[in-house]
Amino acid sequence: MHKIILIIKREFLTRIRKRTFIISTILFPLLYLGLIFGTTYIAEKTKDNLKIGIIDSSGLFKADMIAVANNMDTAKTLTLVTENKENFMAHFDTLGYDGYVVIPQNFSWKNGIDSANIIRLNTRKTFGIGAMEPAQKKLNKIWEQIKKDSLGIDTVKQAIINRTVSLRQSNEKNRNSNAESASVIGYVSGFLMYLILILYGSQVMMGVTEEKTNRIAEVVVSSVKPFQLMIGKIIGIGLVALTQFLIWISCIFIIYNVSKAQGGAVNNASSVVGSVQNVFTSVNILLVVSCFVFYLLAGFFFYSSLYAAIGSAINEDMREAQSLSFPITLLVMFSIFLMGAVIKDPNSPLAVWASIIPFSSPIIMMVRIPFGVPNTVPYWQLGLSMLLLIGGFMFTTWFAGRIYRTGILMYGKKPSWKEMIRWAFSK
Amino acid sequence: MNILELQHLKKYFATQKAVDDISMVIPKGNIFGLLGPNGAGKTTLIRMITGIFYPDSGSITLKGKAFDPENDARLIGYMPEERGLYKKMKIGEQALYLAQLKGLKKAEAIVKIRDWFKRLEMESWWNKKVEDLSKGMGQKLQFVITVLHEPDLIILDEPFSGLDPVNANLIKDEIYRLAQNGTSIIFSTHRMEQVEEICNNIVLVNKGKKILDGSVAEVKQGFKENLFSIQIENIPDQITANIFDVVEKKEQQIIVKIREGYKPNDVLSHFINNGSSIIAFNEILPSLNDIFIRLVEGTPTARQFEKTTL
Repeated sequence: MHKIILIIKREFLTRIRKRTFIISTILFPLLYLGLIFGTTYIAEKTKDNLKIGIIDSSGLFKADMIAVANNMDTAKTLTLVTENKENFMAHFDTLGYDGYVVIPQNFSWKNGIDSANIIRLNTRKTFGIGAMEPAQKKLNKIWEQIKKDSLGIDTVKQAIINRTVSLRQSNEKNRNSNAESASVIGYVSGFLMYLILILYGSQVMMGVTEEKTNRIAEVVVSSVKPFQLMIGKIIGIGLVALTQFLIWISCIFIIYNVSKAQGGAVNNASSVVGSVQNVFTSVNILLVVSCFVFYLLAGFFFYSSLYAAIGSAINEDMREAQSLSFPITLLVMFSIFLMGAVIKDPNSPLAVWASIIPFSSPIIMMVRIPFGVPNTVPYWQLGLSMLLLIGGFMFTTWFAGRIYRTGILMYGKKPSWKEMIRWAFSK
Repeated sequence: MNILELQHLKKYFATQKAVDDISMVIPKGNIFGLLGPNGAGKTTLIRMITGIFYPDSGSITLKGKAFDPENDARLIGYMPEERGLYKKMKIGEQALYLAQLKGLKKAEAIVKIRDWFKRLEMESWWNKKVEDLSKGMGQKLQFVITVLHEPDLIILDEPFSGLDPVNANLIKDEIYRLAQNGTSIIFSTHRMEQVEEICNNIVLVNKGKKILDGSVAEVKQGFKENLFSIQIENIPDQITANIFDVVEKKEQQIIVKIREGYKPNDVLSHFINNGSSIIAFNEILPSLNDIFIRLVEGTPTARQFEKTTL
């Protein structure tokens, strides 16, 4: 036991001190943040804020109405032109305007201009629809105000008109459930699980191959049992994965909430706080995180022991590794293909069974859990899934250990899966 | 006292009988040569002694008790033929880690590592990585790691390959020193001149079986062909005697094979009576290399002799 701890310690410390660990741990959330902020920034930057002069011949467009319309967003798009019209029309671009509109004299509050109601925006450059849209909205807002004034609808009447009802889902069993937050958390958990299983699984594989090809394995197995060496490596790397996850998970909640706040119309502090609360109350975060830790470790043991078996069978050639590990990578990827269907309907038989069967349960169960325990995922399903996964990883580590102890000392030709299975079941 | 006793060890693999009923005894403080051609079963035998493989049948007794791989790791030091170290790990940490795996306490291990590093002039290596070392330096480090925990039995598989003569001598001296302090050493190699130089006892294995066992001197005696070299002034053109046959004739030296029933003294008397003046007379013993090749090739001794006389 003492020796396994030594091995775990070495695996954990050498990996966690590596520059690549520190870089990937920091870089991953930064990249994620950068992606969100970058795209928002670019979207913001590329949006054309047109500056448009209004030449009003009808006399209906008042400066205060324009001011109200301009307040719809941060860009002051519209300006009522009061100076000499001809001069403005000739030199609007040098005056700092992108274009101008002329409201004709025959503009009526009831019908507008004519049946087509087209106002021409005169420009000297071509602008996209995205740039035109806010201006169009504002013009309509102004017209709306003109119509209200003419119909005698004051702010009190307007408030009455504005009253609406909203439809909100109320799950009788779980008042806090929120499908949107649940799918986001389910998606993020499932994907994170996938990343960790694949990335750290292949680290186990490469670590084992490295020990084999360096021939250090032969030195070490003269001091410890091959199984101890394998399990020590798996646990050590599993702890690295867990450490990285715990660092990430704290980042991800921040990122998620920040990005959600970014998506909102108004970017202020209260909505950030609101959305954080929203996520934390709609999903039992403690349950999700503790289940994640369980499925991360159990799923990791399940898959990484298989990766270790492959690592012990191959030699220096990484192509051998790819061809042998492909079936296992495919198993992990299969769960990712199911993810979309599971999020759409977390109660479907497909979702239920995929979350119980060991090879897909680490990812699929983590997709389902945010939808609610015990409502979406009854306790028996969670319990059965966990039990089967524990049984599953006990089998795979036993199986892998049998292959490992033969493979680690076997040099030469790459064995086939059939041969490896024979090693496992030989005495 | 015997450090290691092997009784009827067997290990069969699907395709071959890797070790087929081998028994041997290694005394305390003995440098023991384990010889055999490639694929003879040496590595399998060593792996059973180091606890990497379990024998199919037979028993291993270490220091008078049944060998328990899990708890006896500290009693054995093993240096495999293909050297193995973590390339990216710092040398000091690596030595410490492997020593702790053998069962040494951390503080104890540090003292021993410093001691060995000092003796073999490796003190500056502590914070270097293995990938920064040359092949010979790596070899030296591997040797230190093998013997660091002061095992009672050290198994060295081709310890001198890749070492320059200076470092080879350094390691050789360490091996002698360890043996003098009571450590038994199993020395597996193909280099027969090294075996003759270093080993007290040898065992030759071939095709999973032991075909020769004994001290180096005994083995050589056992395979001697009664060959003697005689140096005389003025070798006569015709030498005829019923005491011996002339095997080879050089300018000042003849090599003779004494016939059965006669003694070296008879040869000497023959030449003395002839009036030849003898400068030197000595027995020619076969080299281990010759014995090795003869046994492994399975060529009958008689036929080989015929070939040389013709």
